[in-house]
Amino acid sequence: MSGTSENFYLPSLARAAHAGHVKRCLSGLPDSQVDLDSGRMAIAFYCLGSLDLLKMVQERTSETDRESWREWIWEQQTSGIHGSGFRPSPFMTGSMSVEETRYTDYDTPHIIMTYTALLTLAILRDDFSRLDKKGILSFLKACQREDGSFSTVPGGGETDLRTLYCAFVISHLLDDWSGVSVERALSFIASCRSYEGGYGQFTHCEANGGTTYIAMAAIHLAPVTSNSLTPSEIRKTIEWAAHKQLQSGGFCGRTNKLADACYCFWIGASLKILGAGDLVDSRSLASFLASCQFKFGGIAKAPGEHSDPYHTYLSLAALSMFPPPISANDANSSSWAFDALDPLINAREETAKWARTHIAIRR
Amino acid sequence: MTEPTRYADRPEWSDVAPIEQYENTNPLAPIFYTNEYKDATNYFRGIVKIGEKSERVLELTEHIIRLNPAHYTAWQYRYETLIAIDSDLGKELKLMDELAITHLKTYQVWHHRRLLMLKIRKPFPELEFIARTFKVDAKNYHTWSYRQWLLAYFNDDELWGAELDFVEDLLYADIRNNSAWHHRFFTVFQSGVHEGEEDRERVLKREMIYVKQSISLVPNNASAWNYLRGILEQSSTPYSKMITFVEPYTLSMDEQTADLVDLDNPPPSKGAHLPCALAIEFLADIYEVQGGESMLKATELWKSLGNEHDVARKKYWEYRIREGLRALQA
Repeated sequence: MSGTSENFYLPSLARAAHAGHVKRCLSGLPDSQVDLDSGRMAIAFYCLGSLDLLKMVQERTSETDRESWREWIWEQQTSGIHGSGFRPSPFMTGSMSVEETRYTDYDTPHIIMTYTALLTLAILRDDFSRLDKKGILSFLKACQREDGSFSTVPGGGETDLRTLYCAFVISHLLDDWSGVSVERALSFIASCRSYEGGYGQFTHCEANGGTTYIAMAAIHLAPVTSNSLTPSEIRKTIEWAAHKQLQSGGFCGRTNKLADACYCFWIGASLKILGAGDLVDSRSLASFLASCQFKFGGIAKAPGEHSDPYHTYLSLAALSMFPPPISANDANSSSWAFDALDPLINAREETAKWARTHIAIRR
Repeated sequence: MTEPTRYADRPEWSDVAPIEQYENTNPLAPIFYTNEYKDATNYFRGIVKIGEKSERVLELTEHIIRLNPAHYTAWQYRYETLIAIDSDLGKELKLMDELAITHLKTYQVWHHRRLLMLKIRKPFPELEFIARTFKVDAKNYHTWSYRQWLLAYFNDDELWGAELDFVEDLLYADIRNNSAWHHRFFTVFQSGVHEGEEDRERVLKREMIYVKQSISLVPNNASAWNYLRGILEQSSTPYSKMITFVEPYTLSMDEQTADLVDLDNPPPSKGAHLPCALAIEFLADIYEVQGGESMLKATELWKSLGNEHDVARKKYWEYRIREGLRALQA
């Protein structure tokens, strides 16, 4: 019964409304969201990423906008004692005088923002001629710690598995792993595996959808084949992940928690990476995400909640991996059509390809 | 409510040159800051430029983190200032108590607390504080992670001593709190051997009874079944040892045989929702390992799950059937 399109009703995906939502966020955010100030690059990625998945970048943005946005992103690339990378925004930057080309301890690049900057530039089809590739390798080195994990900023104390994933994607795109100790990183990931079969944010933490995705993606991006998962570990992780799809079709992030749209990506992508993507019920998944659509545009974490770029992007990414089995005759079917997504990089395949081609360090 | 006086209008700040944030003509996702935030961060950028670490910097950074608790540089600079001026860290911790409750889901709040604890080195009162925050949100990820860090880092037998009781209280309040189950596993099996827990046989037996009784009370609880699997794997106990315990949970209420008081095999409690899909899954796993003839029994159980007891996961059960057949043919 599941997997067929008989009697399967799905409302339309309100593509224009969702594009409108992220466009509004790109133009400006209210002061109530000031806590996003130190993460604007990530917000930009979720917004432009959403437009990219909807294939509306050209249609909904002008060449002038894209040009000046690329400029804005490049303004966040900064070099200094710990190498080069991208800041989240100029939140700690004063005037751009010529003397201040090197960052201080308080205005350093940030690993997660570097990852999102690179993907956003790829979405905007930048040629990356301005990228300080060698500088980024030094930056990654400066961020890796003894235990194999990565801090968000060089020598900084904040760390969790997300930063490790970013370091791996960046290395993958540069096609140069000399900036990271893969062995140490992989053993850190292994230390985050819990008895449930998923991965936590640090050693000894509860298995969680986001960090399980990161573990799976990082392991599969890594150039070495040692330290990869045993068949029984793979099975257990698949089992844990498959149990996270609930009756509503949505995914929860931890055992006995409620469904949240973002886990449709984090857990869905984990299954896809493990070769178990066909275990996802794409029909009920789409129904759940359809019900998460906010009436004024954008997709929310759960039905009835307010939308935001993060949940909008991840919902669209999930749908890109698991298109619903809607009949071509159905009037709503085109609204649910997506290009393929690269689950390891978390970008539309075409964008991921552009990124790889232009970011790789040529020998 | 009136806005506080701007730093720009306060004479005691007149020696600091505020620095406006650089922005180009078309910024990406700009935030429409309040005047209060703009003013405070202008002065923060000014202070950072001259490298001042003083009492008034504490006032300024507190102001900023109250407006934007994710401002990681304000947190970083605040911490450095506290150390540089030899501030009363106990007082800082009390301030953090207040902020933590308001900003439970903000990473920086907990990171700062960790840094303070590395200096103060008094982990005991933290357990009490954490317990209080759980009354607000018993599954908060950052809080649990902080508690696990605290216990593992200080690794004091006295600290560990009351942990099982603490977890049991939380499970009594919500038997489906997976964070509490996870923490129990961490406390018992993944943090070395604590005082009083040296007899590992006894500990294992105790945990088995605990989880089985929990399942008996509320069979449809994935946390408990995951915990049971965890214990079995940890102790290399084959799943098949559980067959007597599990079987009654795979039957309906009518099919239950006379109840026995058997600590090793507590039956489903009255009012339990049966048959329990998680038990059927477990039984199928036992049959799968046995292989051969038993694989057919496993297949029947997976079919019943896909068709009746756990339809939402039909594709998963079809996958299990396929994998089972593949193993048979191998």
